Amino acid sequence: MMLTIKDLHARVEDKVILKGLNLEVKPGEVHAIMGPNGAGKSTLGYVMSGRDGYELVSGSIEMNGDDLMELEIEERAQKGLFLAFQYPVEIPGVSNMEFMKESVNAMRKARGEEALTAAEFLKMAKEACKQVNLPLDFLKRGVNEGFSGGEKKRNEIMQLILLKPALAILDESDSGLDIDALKVVADGVNSQRDGKRSFIVVTHYQRLLDFIEPDYVHILSDGVIVKSGGPELAKEVESTGYAWLGKPVESEEAGA
Amino acid sequence: MSDWLAQVIDRADAVASAQNDELSSARLSALSELKQQKWPTRRTEAWRYTSLHPLEDMTLPALSNDTPAVPDIDGLEPIDFVFVNGKLQGNMPALPAGLSIGGLTDSTMQAAATEVFGTVKPRTHLFGLVNDVLATDGLVIDVAAGASIARPLRIVNVVTAGAETHHRVLVRIGDGASVSVIEHGAGSGASVNTAFAEYALGAKAHLEHYRFALHSGDAIHIGGAHFSLGTEARLNSTLVGYGSQLSRLDYDVIHAGQHAHAKLNAVYLLGPREHFDLHTNIEHAVANGTTEENARGIIGDRARAVFNGRIHIHRDAQKTLAELNNRNLLLSRGGNISTKPELEIYADDVQCAHGATVAEIDDKALYYMLSRGIKREQALVMLNFGFIQELVQQMPSKALAQWLEPQLRARFVEMDTRNGS
Repeated sequence: MMLTIKDLHARVEDKVILKGLNLEVKPGEVHAIMGPNGAGKSTLGYVMSGRDGYELVSGSIEMNGDDLMELEIEERAQKGLFLAFQYPVEIPGVSNMEFMKESVNAMRKARGEEALTAAEFLKMAKEACKQVNLPLDFLKRGVNEGFSGGEKKRNEIMQLILLKPALAILDESDSGLDIDALKVVADGVNSQRDGKRSFIVVTHYQRLLDFIEPDYVHILSDGVIVKSGGPELAKEVESTGYAWLGKPVESEEAGA
Repeated sequence: MSDWLAQVIDRADAVASAQNDELSSARLSALSELKQQKWPTRRTEAWRYTSLHPLEDMTLPALSNDTPAVPDIDGLEPIDFVFVNGKLQGNMPALPAGLSIGGLTDSTMQAAATEVFGTVKPRTHLFGLVNDVLATDGLVIDVAAGASIARPLRIVNVVTAGAETHHRVLVRIGDGASVSVIEHGAGSGASVNTAFAEYALGAKAHLEHYRFALHSGDAIHIGGAHFSLGTEARLNSTLVGYGSQLSRLDYDVIHAGQHAHAKLNAVYLLGPREHFDLHTNIEHAVANGTTEENARGIIGDRARAVFNGRIHIHRDAQKTLAELNNRNLLLSRGGNISTKPELEIYADDVQCAHGATVAEIDDKALYYMLSRGIKREQALVMLNFGFIQELVQQMPSKALAQWLEPQLRARFVEMDTRNGS
């Protein structure tokens, strides 16, 4: 199993956000997690990646047999976890190129592989940069510095392509994108689907799922998965919205 | 008067009677000035945040005779002058046409020496006066009018444990001449060093200046660089300073001629418990001058940095354009920075801006980097370097910038590991 989440309860500061989330992802699968604002969609990615302030209350998260919660943030990444940020961080003064090279080489080192030379990395980076349709001078600029929202999202996908993670979580990688940018993001993700890598696509809207076809769709509401199904579930959400997740449904499903 | 200053004055009298050269009268005048000076305390504004206790309490160990290697710089072929504990090593190198260089008391250099000695550096610097009366070692550099010196001059000043040295550099740059000077100071053992440099730039003269004050640990380093700019002269100066138990530098830039331009970049990097104090003073005495000053510091745990940047625009200095910016990054809550930009403007038609900021490591940036598998130590080095890299990249010499980069990264590791210990 790529990922096994059991009865996950997690809180941000004093507020419990995830309230008993269960999820299993096999190698090669694409899972979509949909839900209204405030359901806890982003919290899941932050808890998994180890962001400060996102605290596990109870339950467990295993990735490839490792207890994620026992690992440092960078170790989780080195074991193959990748989070494409909803709001990628600007780091002035650190070039995108240097950032990604250090990152790729950190992963290689963890796997016992030789570090790439600057020339080897540059070749890879240029290809990835073209693949996400960003001008090459974006490699020289500060990490996300002055990038537009769409450029930041594409920069995340460029990192995904370079890092080749075992499990990637895409946190609202579609938000704020026009249809062309959306296709670039989706194509980038699809190019990485090889039957072994797994993806969790977190999104508010069904739109992205027209381009990245999920194997499973889960509806997250108030910190628990209230409904799971195939791609048709996403279509259903598209036509009915999240209104049906009224209070009665929530209390009925709570603790499930 | 402190015991330390009293023994300086005793020795100065001895120096004055032993040296009989063209600088003697200037030394005597400095000595009488020094005798009037009060020993700074915390109530002395210029020394408010820097205690002289380490100097007062310093007992020098036996003199160490190890001679640290002088760094090679790829792509740079400097004309080297290496001083160990004040003494010039080897012979004077061969010099290109238009350049004359000699020792401080060299009779052939007296014209340039007397013109520059004590005339650029203001008399307000107590340790500058100490240097005036005690420095017998150093260099006088005279660049003939119109000469363009292609190779940079590098003055390496190594101070070993147990040494007390007073080093002086006097540089006269003739009208329309251009030269690049690198002052490289280093030493980490218990030692006392004052090092002052004065640069007099003629009309349309151009100086590319670097000062690497890489003293650390127990080395006490007090010094300065002082520049007087003639009409349309251009100064581009970069300072890189490490902290030590006591490091203090004073910079003065005097716009003496109109339409001169001064660019001053400074970076200071303090390891745990280190102290670094930079006072800069820009005097716009005449109209139409421009100054662009950027200082950035990174301050380790329980370290203390002091930055005081004064810009003084005199009444006649209309159309002055001056900018001063100071940014600081604290690596821990235990670090301390006192920053004070000071603008004194007496002319009404000027453009002047200043700013100072103090920040901590950006947690979100750090998390982002960790989430990409980069180790914490490495991520911190990258963030630190990112904070200052703009100033490193602005160095006119790419070869020097490339040489400096790994040194600074190593410094960051040192700043952090000692931080964690």
